[in-house]
Amino acid sequence: MKRSTFYLMFVGLILGLIPRTAPLLLAAAKVGEPAPAFTATASDGKTYKLAGYRGKYVILEWHNNGCPYVGKQYNSGNMQKLQKQWTSQGVVWFTVLSSAPGKQGFVTASDENAYLAKMQAAPTAALLDPSGEIGHMYDAKTSPQMVVINPQGVVIYDGAIDDKPTTDLADVPGATNYVSLALEQAMAGKPVATPATRPYGCSVKYSDSSH
Amino acid sequence: MSWHKPPAIFPWALVLSAAALALCARHAEAAGAPIPHGTLELVAEKQWIAAGHPFNVALHFELEKGWHIYWTNPGDSGEPPRVQWNLPAGITAGDIEWPAPRRLGTASIVDYGYEDAVMLIVPMNAEANLAAQGPAQIAAEVKVLVCREMCIPGKAQVSLTLPVKPQTSPVNAQSADLFAAARKALPRPAPANWKFGLSETNDSFVLTGNLGRRITDAIFFPLAESQVSNAAPQTLVPIATGFRLTLRKSDQLLKPIARLKGVLVLSGERAYSIDVPVGKPVVTSTKGAG
Repeated sequence: MKRSTFYLMFVGLILGLIPRTAPLLLAAAKVGEPAPAFTATASDGKTYKLAGYRGKYVILEWHNNGCPYVGKQYNSGNMQKLQKQWTSQGVVWFTVLSSAPGKQGFVTASDENAYLAKMQAAPTAALLDPSGEIGHMYDAKTSPQMVVINPQGVVIYDGAIDDKPTTDLADVPGATNYVSLALEQAMAGKPVATPATRPYGCSVKYSDSSH
Repeated sequence: MSWHKPPAIFPWALVLSAAALALCARHAEAAGAPIPHGTLELVAEKQWIAAGHPFNVALHFELEKGWHIYWTNPGDSGEPPRVQWNLPAGITAGDIEWPAPRRLGTASIVDYGYEDAVMLIVPMNAEANLAAQGPAQIAAEVKVLVCREMCIPGKAQVSLTLPVKPQTSPVNAQSADLFAAARKALPRPAPANWKFGLSETNDSFVLTGNLGRRITDAIFFPLAESQVSNAAPQTLVPIATGFRLTLRKSDQLLKPIARLKGVLVLSGERAYSIDVPVGKPVVTSTKGAG
């Protein structure tokens, strides 16, 4: 009886600990270090492997269509403009959807395809990550958090989309876009001057999110 | 039924609804301007502005259960309320006095903010030549992000008209309790005989506090973003004369910092402002207060 209670407590402890510490135990993406490998299914039904894009720059954009900070970028047309600008130069752009089922921003493949068409968005693909696996791998905190990976597979930028942490559309034109800056500098063979910033926005709606 | 002959009850209904409307209007006035899932009211501590003296107003936020707004450093997500003052000549606004926040969030994302209700006190200054100008209107446009599972940006216009007199004013009875409670939640300077030190390792800061007694409950809130990891657990080791608190560095911290500023909350209630240089222990004052 005592022993079984002990085992139950032990198992309970382990079960209780794993979900809380798992995101911290995983090697989270860090600027200057290799980007964690992932394989994901996109809203177009295809499977995308990060490892397949060595030799290209890759952008990861955390997305939640109900977040006002994301709304600021899409309703102003800024995100779509960036997607077109960079993909036309051979950059791979993955929109990552890490909202858990039942949470704000969770979408099915067809929801997302309808959204992409309506917004005239042009990422290479929109990756469905309802388990939050990719999100936790990159320790993504917010939408729209942005990550830039260089052709060698190293993270060269992780953080905010720009330097105006507001929901105000009027702040888009005067903002310094950190993603474009990182790509321009890296493509010119220069070090990225601002490789990490606080990724402002809405918290990513993982399954354990309460806020 | 014709328009010319309304039923006898009609005049009474009219009177009652007018009375109800009047009550609603009074209530709305007392409850302040609407913001998403809450209200915002601008309140004054005193009955009038004394020309030539400082005075205080406060932004009083009341939120529905479960919703929150943010501290000056919002943590991993969100943003603090932003205030644009519209003040008559001769009156100037100081910075918001931020009460100690709470940690809000989960294992992987932690924000700093306020739930339920909060008073953000703003000190104001009135020039001596104000007296001749009549009542003064203190107005503000406030942008605020209100979040629960989701975030909703809100904007509210609030204002307050106060008489201006040459003599000092008694407190405003309606807001006295609110201001008193708000002051209790403000971080106070750490007592002069407390000593803090901050050392660093590759991935962490270690904050040591010598308070003259064993401390078993302490939380640190960094004033600046991107210095300390918000979501990482803060590991407290009580020691005989105080505590040692390990704070993981933020992944966004790529350059060394000279000082760590923030708010230290002990036992979940008393909040103290601290400002500790990195590297060597510091004495907040050379003379102990007790």
